[in-house]
Amino acid sequence: MTSANGNLSDGSNGQDGVDIGGALPANLSLPGALDGLRVLEICDEKGQFCGKLMADNGADLIKIEPPGGEACRSFGPFMDDVPHRERSLSFWHYNTSKRGITLNLETPQGQEIFKRLAATADIVLESRKPGYLESLGLGFETLSADNPGLIMCSLTPYGQTGPWRDYVSSDITQMAGGGQMASSGYDDIDVPNPPPIAPGGGNSWHIGAHYAYIGIMAALYYRFLSGEGQYIDASIHEACALTTEGAIAIYLSTGEVVQRHTGRHAAPDMSPAIQFPTGDGGWLNTTRSGTNLTPARLKLLAEWFDQSGMADDLTDERYQDPEVIAAENDHIVQVMKNFFMNSTLMDSFHGGQQRDFPWGAIRSMDEIVADEHLTDREFFKEVEHPELGRTFTYPGPAMLFNGSPWRISRRAPLIGEHNAEILQGELGLTNSQMLLYAEGGVI
Amino acid sequence: MPLPTPLQGIRVVDFTWVRAGPWAARWLGTLGAEVIKVEWPLNLDTLRQNRFTVPPGVEPGPNSTGQFADTNANKRGISVNTRTEEGLELVKRLISVSDVVIENFSSRIMQRWGLGYDQLKKIRPDIIYVSMAGFGHTGRHHWYGTMGPAAQALSGLTHLSGLPGAPPAGWGWSYLDDTGGMYGAISALTALRHRSATGKGQHVDLSQMITGITLTGPAFLDKTVNGRKARREGFPPGNRTVWPGAEVVNNYRGPIAAPHNAYRTDPGGYNDWAVIACLTNDEWHTLVNLMGSPDWADDRFDTIEGRLEHQEEMDDHIEEWTKTMGKYELTEKCQAAGIRAMAVQSSQDRVDNDPQLRHRDMYVPMDHPMLGPWKFQNAPFKMSKSPARIANPPPMIGQHNREVLEDLLGETHEDVLNGYENGVLWPTTMDRYPYIEEALR
Repeated sequence: MTSANGNLSDGSNGQDGVDIGGALPANLSLPGALDGLRVLEICDEKGQFCGKLMADNGADLIKIEPPGGEACRSFGPFMDDVPHRERSLSFWHYNTSKRGITLNLETPQGQEIFKRLAATADIVLESRKPGYLESLGLGFETLSADNPGLIMCSLTPYGQTGPWRDYVSSDITQMAGGGQMASSGYDDIDVPNPPPIAPGGGNSWHIGAHYAYIGIMAALYYRFLSGEGQYIDASIHEACALTTEGAIAIYLSTGEVVQRHTGRHAAPDMSPAIQFPTGDGGWLNTTRSGTNLTPARLKLLAEWFDQSGMADDLTDERYQDPEVIAAENDHIVQVMKNFFMNSTLMDSFHGGQQRDFPWGAIRSMDEIVADEHLTDREFFKEVEHPELGRTFTYPGPAMLFNGSPWRISRRAPLIGEHNAEILQGELGLTNSQMLLYAEGGVI
Repeated sequence: MPLPTPLQGIRVVDFTWVRAGPWAARWLGTLGAEVIKVEWPLNLDTLRQNRFTVPPGVEPGPNSTGQFADTNANKRGISVNTRTEEGLELVKRLISVSDVVIENFSSRIMQRWGLGYDQLKKIRPDIIYVSMAGFGHTGRHHWYGTMGPAAQALSGLTHLSGLPGAPPAGWGWSYLDDTGGMYGAISALTALRHRSATGKGQHVDLSQMITGITLTGPAFLDKTVNGRKARREGFPPGNRTVWPGAEVVNNYRGPIAAPHNAYRTDPGGYNDWAVIACLTNDEWHTLVNLMGSPDWADDRFDTIEGRLEHQEEMDDHIEEWTKTMGKYELTEKCQAAGIRAMAVQSSQDRVDNDPQLRHRDMYVPMDHPMLGPWKFQNAPFKMSKSPARIANPPPMIGQHNREVLEDLLGETHEDVLNGYENGVLWPTTMDRYPYIEEALR
């Protein structure tokens, strides 16, 4: 492997001698990109991912939960399927690298403690109802009065203003309003009279978090230039409405509204199927059928299929003519389908990629956790849960920051885990105050 | 006086094309960076050729597609043949006065041009280089190609979306082009903060495909912690949280809840649907009241177990009610009672019918030289001191050659004219557009 800062000479080897084509961040002891920044997070499922993005990049993030913990600690699945607020795998994933305290912001003492913490913060990220923090005297104006560099971002379903600002939401309602559902679903031939489908995984929260993070990073740069902090009013609805690729541009250009199609782009018209079943029960996504089938590429396919006697007549010289390829497209696609049905998902995928066809296997986690390309990139991160005496494998980052490594510095905080460390160690609360605040429902 | 922009003074050399890369740079431009898109007319950005987004009555051409327009707003553009020595030299000089280089080619293209990170940092030691290849630049399959749909498939996102027993529905657009673009911008901005703090640049090696895996965290941990089989009966459960009859396991969207579905609304057109989600028993009882406490809604539905057990019957009854009104009427009624509901909104709905997006100025009017009066998508956040802004329409190809090369790089007008004659700034085999002739005068 080559040294320092992502030297990308070809031929670098991974641990098992396989050519991994590049280099991993050389010095993992370097600080992360957001080292030295303090973030306070008051977020449920709507904002916690934005917090994770900052914390894994090295920010000192203090998550402030209500006494007893955030409600989203009750989202499954749970470790070993035993429901418990310390065993939510969802909470674990979205709260890595954070420290956690509990604080009742509806008590005067809780508000006072929060203000003292906010005075030490670079960033406050919150996803409570519009106006809630302000109603407690904890709005941006108050918090920034003595901390003019403070950046505060409110990430809420519909933003702080407008006729829908107080609307309540969940992931699926955001995907309805944002347009994800109007673009996703089925052709009638696959599912008769199909409903629009909300893609899974809680992605409206991700979409909102990405834009909130971008706004915060932009505000940090502006602060670097000017010394000034500011308030960011981020809307999940707007973020989702921005995230349907061409649907808006098509409507603005032609007045046409896209139709939903199975596993491929919604479009104003019908398009050929691109997902094909494989012999082992999987599905292969071919991006678009007959992608750039030049004579040379068709020949590659035919020779590959011919190795297992599945080329039909595609090895025939007459297919070395673009006009014949165009005219015989349906037949060629049928030969491909037959091949896939006699192959496996992963063989079809790798065989295609090795011939420069940008196909994708529709993988589940069953396959993803065995992906050696991910191992090469050190994607699988072992995270210790000391209280359990166990270590679990977490997903790593999509990007390798070669000069400021991304890392999971700790597992998600237990409820109130850092109360003593932060409230006593940093703010100097006494033992008796801690006792009184615990009994009084402040922490 | 207009407010300042947050990324003022930052210059970005944008080699990206298609969607994910250009979308990343578009947001840097929207935040005030000076983004210079480098193109070559013989290798046209495919979005310049998007057949669905040429408005009727507009002459087709590389400057006439709505999809390119929105994806590349707030940039300037130059045309340079990087396969010529002179062209490559110009690009290097541009990099030497820039902060960020961003590209989404296959994993070795920039190195072949002599513009890998090692070379870039010789040109500009603190350069931030963001590469956005499908599999990244590192790892045994770095040379594999992906576009959005294949990346989504490989990442596990597609598998999470659809009805049980049917083919995967996946995402009806290149979600990982949109989101890959977000991560391109995230990479650049994060590295920019690192540079502000340390003075150092770096290479950020982003993989579009892996981006999707990081968005499936709870499913990932369900595999690695619990050993859950990902391919299982009744999964994915469509718009529900649990499919009727299937094992009660969380589906990674939030809490297990019912009702939680899409329902038809009046007048029954293609996008006449709304969703309702009741996350608690209280929310369910509120909905029952709102529906007029119908006889069918008896105590069988009082608990989440009961609602899951009788989900088909419940959803059928709810839909009888939702079909009696329009999707916005339903939304308003439910929201007034505190029930989580929302109309399924098409593109048309968002642009024309959504009062919230209108209130928040989501679609900003601006003239486009070919498309005429146009609308551009605004940032989904309001910054109080240094707002994002829609400043200028996308570049027509090669539109800003003269101002970039002469004003920024100090080329003489003669040099530029020569570049057009010798195939460095425009293909000798191709006619020049009138705006180019105009600019050269």
